[in-house]
Amino acid sequence: MVLAVVLVSELLAFVFTLVRSGGTDFLTELARISMLMQWLGLTSAALLCLLRVPLGRASTAAATVVALGIVLVNILILSIAMIWAGRRLGAGETLSMFPGETWLFMLRNLVIGAIVTALLLRYFFVSHQWRLHVQAEARSRIDALQARIRPHFLFNSMNTIASLTRSDPDQAEQAVEDLADLFRATLNDAGRLLTLKEEFELTRVYQRIEMLRLGDRLRVDWDVSGLPMRARLPGLTIQPLLENAIYHGIERLDEGGLVTIVGQCSNDKIEINVTNPVGAAEGDQIRQGHQLAVNNIRERLQLAFDGRGSLEVAESGGTYRATVRFPVI
Amino acid sequence: MTRERSLLIVDDEAPARERLQRLVDALPEWKCVGVCGTGAEAIRHVEQQRPVVVLLDIRMPGMSGVEVARHLSRLESPPAVIFTTAYDEYALEAFDSRAVGYLLKPVRRERLESALEHAGRLSDALLSEINLRTRGFDQRRHVAARMRGELKLIPISEIRYFHAEQKYVSVHHAGGADLIEDSLKQLEEEFPDRFVRIHRSMLVAVDAIEALEKDAAGGYHVRLREVATTLPVSRRQVTELRDRLRARR
Repeated sequence: MVLAVVLVSELLAFVFTLVRSGGTDFLTELARISMLMQWLGLTSAALLCLLRVPLGRASTAAATVVALGIVLVNILILSIAMIWAGRRLGAGETLSMFPGETWLFMLRNLVIGAIVTALLLRYFFVSHQWRLHVQAEARSRIDALQARIRPHFLFNSMNTIASLTRSDPDQAEQAVEDLADLFRATLNDAGRLLTLKEEFELTRVYQRIEMLRLGDRLRVDWDVSGLPMRARLPGLTIQPLLENAIYHGIERLDEGGLVTIVGQCSNDKIEINVTNPVGAAEGDQIRQGHQLAVNNIRERLQLAFDGRGSLEVAESGGTYRATVRFPVI
Repeated sequence: MTRERSLLIVDDEAPARERLQRLVDALPEWKCVGVCGTGAEAIRHVEQQRPVVVLLDIRMPGMSGVEVARHLSRLESPPAVIFTTAYDEYALEAFDSRAVGYLLKPVRRERLESALEHAGRLSDALLSEINLRTRGFDQRRHVAARMRGELKLIPISEIRYFHAEQKYVSVHHAGGADLIEDSLKQLEEEFPDRFVRIHRSMLVAVDAIEALEKDAAGGYHVRLREVATTLPVSRRQVTELRDRLRARR
């Protein structure tokens, strides 16, 4: 790290010397600028390093201003120190090492310093953003995988099918077909845009599997007839909402309950609400469990509709409600 | 011919119950004496039928399988318990399978046979260990008091306070007072959000507290909703109690 600072400082010194020097005094000029640059680079890096904790807590804008300020004050102090050192050492051969025109020297240093520091800060900012972006993308892929295949659902479905193979082979057959469709969709369709018709079909396939398992504890009311079925949305947006409603709501209630899926469309804007009852005792656990899937769906909606798609969730009076909004495209 | 041994099946999902029942029917040594859809039903059934083994689904609405097992262990001669689960989220697999019986669904016939062979009583230590793992995910909703060999389940939400006397802890609730076998320390650790210690021997439901009062002698007392007498608060608990009451508002 220190080596990198030394190297960058020296490279900059080299560039400045090349620009300034007429060729005669190249080495003296390089030595002079190097000295200033090395001092500046190392002390600025050290100061910023010391302040990294409070700066990390500040907003990006505030941190930028403070960092820039620190570097400029540092330049000022070092410039004055150099002028002072030049005067103390007096005339002679060493004189050319030090600046003559005091004010011009300081002003020039400050302007160059401000520009170079600003460029460097911008570079750090962009590379940091890029790193965050890469991390977020990797995380959301893992989240997506986990959100799509809930182990409980998989193994419970297998158990249901194992039971039905003897008691009701026809239904077992259909359950296997449904499960296959659902898993094909989770492997292919997340991230792809589906029509509402396709997404609702998928959600109903999922509903059918869960009904085999939960019997009359699960009731689902659909009211989506007012929606344009050819509108598009990211695949697996509604299905995981029904899954959440069952996993965190219906399945935990002794008597089961009613899930409603209601859609409206006006001015080319679609709103779909999924509601389910929740037990009184388990609010906190629900929120935690919901979070993964909810964040994942929200990210995909925002991405697909350039920020015009959204997912909001709210709980009140024993009812949990997820609201999806997106424009017709 | 060997004598048939009895077992009870508990699962909230009908297909899962049916499948287990069919598997058990195929085992000549075992007889299914009942199937239950909820934990509360299971406890009643166990008290009446006294099965040797209970096959107990962990994830059920209302009372979880782990909670049912804890209540059952308070019985005079508790049945052996084998947990069933679709997905081992509690990492029960980490336990020695001879100490904690568990089966993953869909259950294989051979595994069921072997689990039944080794089924034994769950020790208290193991149960509280399992309970520790499942805490936060599935808090108990009842405590169990034993009355003349029968279990009485007291909903946590109706409890006003616990009082530790010489050997037992008494639980004071909407329906009166009963003796339970849990210790105050266990209860305090299990329900940190719900109860607060006001005294070495008393644990009080935060929601039940109406007021914190100071008497002429400088001692503190709490007054509880629907409880006639006030309860003494020890000096060292006053600050924590105040904090909890403030956080409640």
